[in-house]
Amino acid sequence: MREIITSRGDGEQITLTPDELRKDIVAGTEEAAKKGKIDALSAEEIDHMVDIFSQPGRTVSVEPGKEVVVTDDGAGLMPSWGRPSAGHAIPISDHQALLMYERVYCGDTVGLGFPDYSYKPVKSAIGYARSHYKAISMLTTIPLIYGSQPNMGMYYHPSGPVESPSDYLSKFEFDKAKEVQEQAAAHMKRDIMDVAESLYEVGCEAMNLDTTGSAGDADFWGCLNVVEEMKEKMPDMPVEMGMAGEMVMGLHGELTYKGERLAGMFPHKQIQAAEKAGVDIFGIAVNSDTGKSTPYNLSRTVTFTKAASEAASIPIHANSGMGVCGMPMTLLPPIGCSTRCAKALVEIGKADGL
Amino acid sequence: MTDFNEMKEALVACDTVKLTGLVDTALGQGTPASDILNQGLIAGMDIVGEKMENGDMFIPEVLMAAQAMGECMTVLKPLLGEGETTGAGNVLIGTVKGDLHDIGKNLVAMMMESAGLTVHNLGVDIDPAEFVTQIKEKGANIVCLSALLTTTMPAMKQTVDAIVEAGLRDQVKIMVGGAPVTQAFADEIGADGFAADAGSASKLAKQLAA
Repeated sequence: MREIITSRGDGEQITLTPDELRKDIVAGTEEAAKKGKIDALSAEEIDHMVDIFSQPGRTVSVEPGKEVVVTDDGAGLMPSWGRPSAGHAIPISDHQALLMYERVYCGDTVGLGFPDYSYKPVKSAIGYARSHYKAISMLTTIPLIYGSQPNMGMYYHPSGPVESPSDYLSKFEFDKAKEVQEQAAAHMKRDIMDVAESLYEVGCEAMNLDTTGSAGDADFWGCLNVVEEMKEKMPDMPVEMGMAGEMVMGLHGELTYKGERLAGMFPHKQIQAAEKAGVDIFGIAVNSDTGKSTPYNLSRTVTFTKAASEAASIPIHANSGMGVCGMPMTLLPPIGCSTRCAKALVEIGKADGL
Repeated sequence: MTDFNEMKEALVACDTVKLTGLVDTALGQGTPASDILNQGLIAGMDIVGEKMENGDMFIPEVLMAAQAMGECMTVLKPLLGEGETTGAGNVLIGTVKGDLHDIGKNLVAMMMESAGLTVHNLGVDIDPAEFVTQIKEKGANIVCLSALLTTTMPAMKQTVDAIVEAGLRDQVKIMVGGAPVTQAFADEIGADGFAADAGSASKLAKQLAA
């Protein structure tokens, strides 16, 4: 019997029999359906996933004519920002890396950011960020997206001005815990808005709020509200929003956006909230289980992605890499997994802006 | 006649005022305190645990529900007879040596208390020898070890080994938990169980104690 070579979520190479492969795919979609209260993949879609993993080549791809636009989320900067220890960093500048991504790899969009990748530190280096962005945007032809992470946690003690809600939660001071989260969200919103306005003045072509919701529902709430504000003041600047995880953690618990409770939202609900806020491209993030196989993790991801693509009309950027959206948790993604993730996400999940 | 469903709903809604009112009314109607505890409060906390497992309730709400239950327990405790306040579980819980994280561990302790188990919360940075001493002193039949860091996970193994060396392994069931901990790790170090969240930890403890 032919064995299928794939990876586990921790990157270890594993082999599966055809029966094991199908079982993992079925288990993955059923788990996602139960958790997200959404439909599981159909028998035909499961067959398609089995087929994708059963193809013997190292790589797979979508059929000609079914290609999608590639939304950048840091890939362009990997050569210059890469990790030398992982063997994929090259001593070149951001300029060279981004032009290489555009002209050699033929990316459809490309991204730029500050190495300390959060809006809070970017604000204090905004002069550098502006001139850096301006200089590179003069050279690139494809849209140049400026990305950074909201990271609301940076506004809590000891890094920031607001006391940590966990200190209050442990003392059962619930109102105070909620209050400090809302205060931190206000600080985060102000910094994102300041950076956005400042970059807009030098012709910023798009902004990326990357890894939204990392500090829970208040983080997501602040980001949705700031996007609304950005679209009001800068309607011609597109906004990409990527998530930190598959579910919005309810660390506040009571925050709502347009009448919907944010805590516990899965991708199909997150994208609806994001679309209402004015987000132009939504990046879903589905967590990979390091103890499960890639077929299992990808099956979960595709199930969530399909539900999200049916729930909203804005393009989906599936954050497929490094422990997210089907990919194993490794620095260098196994190409057998990355191409299978891409194919399944596009063909079954209907992600239209990877 | 006492409506235990209303009591459970008030607890799930974290409505302390309503819940304490319902408990007072039930006591006034002559409902035994043990029925209120078992059919109202503990049953309600079981729902809270399930909702937490399913991602429908989160840490602040679980804490609020536990607090509401605690308020009711101050009224019920003096009315409960010997052995009525607790189930079979006598739990010792602590964060292992070298680790100072306690929010998750405290949440687990609260959920277990709310489920009717007797809980002795040792705190954080607990030496293996201290676990052994406390097992003897408290007569615990369940030991829960918590660790948030991968660097402190080995202390869980050291604690299990210390319990074995002290000849107490047959006396206790050992549970492990914390962000980096998995079922595979629990199996590897010889623990009896692993739980991913406070709700399932409480459920597992009751199963192990049964």
